[in-house]
Amino acid sequence: MREEIPPGTLDMLILKTVSWRKELHGFEIAESIRATSSGVFVVEEGSLYPALQRLLVRGWVVGEWGRTPDNRRARYYHVTVLGKRQLERSVESYSRVTRAIADILDPSPSRA
Amino acid sequence: MLGQFWRRLMLFFGLDRATQDLEDEMRLHRKLRAEQLLAQGFPDADAQARRRFGNATRIAEESRDTWFWPGLEAVWQDARVTVRSLRRSPAFAAGVMLTFALGVGANAAMFSLIDRMMLRPPALMRDPARVQRVYMYRSVDGVESGTGGQYARNADIARWTTTSFSAVAMHAARQLAVGVGQDAREMRIAIVSANFFGFFDAPPAAGRYFGAAEDAPPSGSPVAVLSHAAWQAQYGGRPDAIGSTVQIGAVVYTIIGVAAEDFVGLWPLRPPAAFIPMSTYSASALGPQWQTTYSSSFGIGSIARLKPGVSVDAASADLTTALVQSYRAEGRTEERLTALRPRALAASVLLERGPDRSDVARVATWLGGVAIIVLLIACANVASLLLARALSKRREIAVRLALGVSRTRLLTQLLTESMVLAACGSLLGVFVATGMSAMLSAAFLPGIDRLSVAGDPRTLVFIGIITVVVGAFTGVLPVLQARRLALTDDLKAGARAGTYRRSRTRSALLVLQGALSLVLLVGAGLFVRSLRNVRDLRLGFDPESVLVVDLKMRDVRLDSAQTAGLRLRLVAAATRVPGIQHASLQLSTPFGGSSEWPISVAGVDSVNKFGRFEFNAVSPDYFATLGTRILRGRAFESGDLGGARRVMVISEAMGKVLWPGEDPLEKCVRIGIPAETSPCRYVVGIAEDIRSRGFTPKAKYFYYYLPAAQWHQQDGGLFVRVAGDTRSSIEPLRRRLQEEMPGSSYVTVARLGELVDAQSRSWVMGATVFTAFGALALVLAAVGLYSVIAYNVAQRRQELAVRVALGAAAGDVMRLVVGEGLRFGVTGAAVGTAIAIIAAPRIAPLLFNQSPRDPTVFATVTGALLLVAVIASIIPAIRGARVDPNAALRAE
Repeated sequence: MREEIPPGTLDMLILKTVSWRKELHGFEIAESIRATSSGVFVVEEGSLYPALQRLLVRGWVVGEWGRTPDNRRARYYHVTVLGKRQLERSVESYSRVTRAIADILDPSPSRA
Repeated sequence: MLGQFWRRLMLFFGLDRATQDLEDEMRLHRKLRAEQLLAQGFPDADAQARRRFGNATRIAEESRDTWFWPGLEAVWQDARVTVRSLRRSPAFAAGVMLTFALGVGANAAMFSLIDRMMLRPPALMRDPARVQRVYMYRSVDGVESGTGGQYARNADIARWTTTSFSAVAMHAARQLAVGVGQDAREMRIAIVSANFFGFFDAPPAAGRYFGAAEDAPPSGSPVAVLSHAAWQAQYGGRPDAIGSTVQIGAVVYTIIGVAAEDFVGLWPLRPPAAFIPMSTYSASALGPQWQTTYSSSFGIGSIARLKPGVSVDAASADLTTALVQSYRAEGRTEERLTALRPRALAASVLLERGPDRSDVARVATWLGGVAIIVLLIACANVASLLLARALSKRREIAVRLALGVSRTRLLTQLLTESMVLAACGSLLGVFVATGMSAMLSAAFLPGIDRLSVAGDPRTLVFIGIITVVVGAFTGVLPVLQARRLALTDDLKAGARAGTYRRSRTRSALLVLQGALSLVLLVGAGLFVRSLRNVRDLRLGFDPESVLVVDLKMRDVRLDSAQTAGLRLRLVAAATRVPGIQHASLQLSTPFGGSSEWPISVAGVDSVNKFGRFEFNAVSPDYFATLGTRILRGRAFESGDLGGARRVMVISEAMGKVLWPGEDPLEKCVRIGIPAETSPCRYVVGIAEDIRSRGFTPKAKYFYYYLPAAQWHQQDGGLFVRVAGDTRSSIEPLRRRLQEEMPGSSYVTVARLGELVDAQSRSWVMGATVFTAFGALALVLAAVGLYSVIAYNVAQRRQELAVRVALGAAAGDVMRLVVGEGLRFGVTGAAVGTAIAIIAAPRIAPLLFNQSPRDPTVFATVTGALLLVAVIASIIPAIRGARVDPNAALRAE
């Protein structure tokens, strides 16, 4: 079952994916997000590349041209120190949001 | 944040590279996707991949959008499009840029001059808006004039104005001899009180400034502070300069410090080489009574810092009270005080902003306005050209609008075009301004360093601002035009239909240009005639052939007889120098200083009601030296000596006013204090009138002459008449005379013409710059008119062709076109004449013997404008007359 990627979380997903796998090019990022989410999230290329450029400009990832295993030229991205910090921040705020949503959906008094 | 900025900048400049990278990356993505789909067994994997990927161009654009600040890329693109389209019409681009360059250059040059004279606060001054210059006035015989150069007067002011000012400092700047013997040179020296330095945020570069204890009565301390520039130039910036001694004027000073690097006091245009204490110099220059004497001075002024909350008007009132008190302290009776009407006021610390600003500054202000008008005309021209371009592109624009290009985008593109043109023009304008500024400052601020344009931040900011303003101004008209576009009409009409429409905006711009050109040319005409009036004026002497010799005695003290002997030796020595025709003693210099003594004439109760009487004490050769004609009687002779009969020569006007209808020869005039009981001096000659007080004296002056041998004052110099070029005689004369000078005293030699030139400078400036700007304006207007007429003729091709086909002769067509040009000329001239007539009274004070509504000037200028209008429309007219009706109509 495919779902829209929740607005505002794409940057975080890309950062997480890239930092987890150390080094990926654009297609690998898209594939990795699809595979890891068991096919729920499919990153539209139309949003992946603008997002990558945004991350580049902000200095959260850097891109380096390298060779794929079958010797094709590809730009590999990895996460910078700034990017890691940003990832932590967004994961943190994201978990707060999901906790809050979970609380609203399942208001169990025991949590007090 | 900074990092991000940097990365964006890098992307911006590596635009092509980054775009390429992005494309490569996305191609790989598509390829991999296609392979994946193929592996999954899709037959049309490629198409599928492309479909899944979406619109590659749009994605690339969206990605690139993240690189830039919003809109920046669009602007960049517009700029590139503009440059490309301008390269296609180089003549248009060059014409517009040149027009801008001249307009912007003229303004930048005037700004750099006006800014330095009237706007820029003294360098390093703390809170300059609160610092005021003190002006003092008093009336003599009902005529008010400036006063207040005395030490005692300024000290009184400082003492009695404590309610308004937190500090009052005295200052003066003089040319003084620095060094001894062969090395002695005249330099500009600032003479300041110790608290003068406190007005500035300027810690000394080395050593220290002098303090109150060193600037205290009775005689101050002989200490001096070097300017940073002099320290570098004279001492090579060596630290051991401090502690060394230097003779300045009559006193040997010990150098105790070096001023801050950019510290020039109140004299940015002619910075002083050193600063010395007011007390020390006053004691050496004014004698032992220097603190209390009100009768001698060396041009001391005061600056004062307003206390918080005190208004300038309140401060002026306070100053006036203090001045009155000072006159009382001097011992003036109340009755005398009423007649003196002392008045003081506080005004801007900038001299040229105060009541004493020079005529050059006044004219410069006008010319600043003129430069703006030239820029306006230039803008009108460019706006008109851009408008024509926009009109000719209306079909293109309509098509683009129909294709969905947003109007905003279109408008920014039009604006970008004018901005790019303005920016390129301004860049050129910097060169124009540098050249013009060099000429302006050489002509009107002689003796100062070249004013920098490209290296001066204030001027560059000014250029930046006017660039944006003219860019926006010229771009806005085509933009307005484009906004009005009726899409369907233009699409339907097509490009060729070319129904002839006059643009009302363009016509209005043309009339404005014509009117402004006329105003400028009238101004030019008025100044040229003023200058001619000044040049044609008989001064009563020949300044161009005469040199003025001044004696600088420094610390050499001679008694009256010794001085008289020295001066006679100098006259004798001067006449032996080759090329010197005559030499004479003098006590005062026309256009320079003057001497006045009370005079009394039998039968006239008070001569002062006529005006002021000035005199010169001269030797027999005086009239031959200066070229002043003796009209009746005789000049002085070698026999008019101390013991002989007392004689005098008077000017013609003086004789007429004192003895109307009578022969002044052999009349008696008593001169002295008191005049009534002084011995008679008999008029033996009548000389022509001279202009002793410059071209525009503030009162009526009469001039008379006494033999130097019959007058007690001997502290004057010499006049020397030169055959041929005066400049080349200056140095030989100075050398020869210097041999006669005792001790460290010396002579200076200058051209009398210089004094006269200095006073006629404002008219020279007005005439030359007004004429140059006026001519520029006329050329611009002519180009504007030509381009509009040519454009209209091109638009009217069909109409003209029909006329020719129906039998109109070439002359009829030409008359039609030239008539149109002439109508613009006439309307412009009429509007301009009205403006000039209304503005006339304001310029009148700057003219010389010249009515600001001179019909000759107006007629000549109107004629010139109409002639130019005809010339500008004649080429398009010829082209219009040559329209081949066959070709033009078949093209339809």
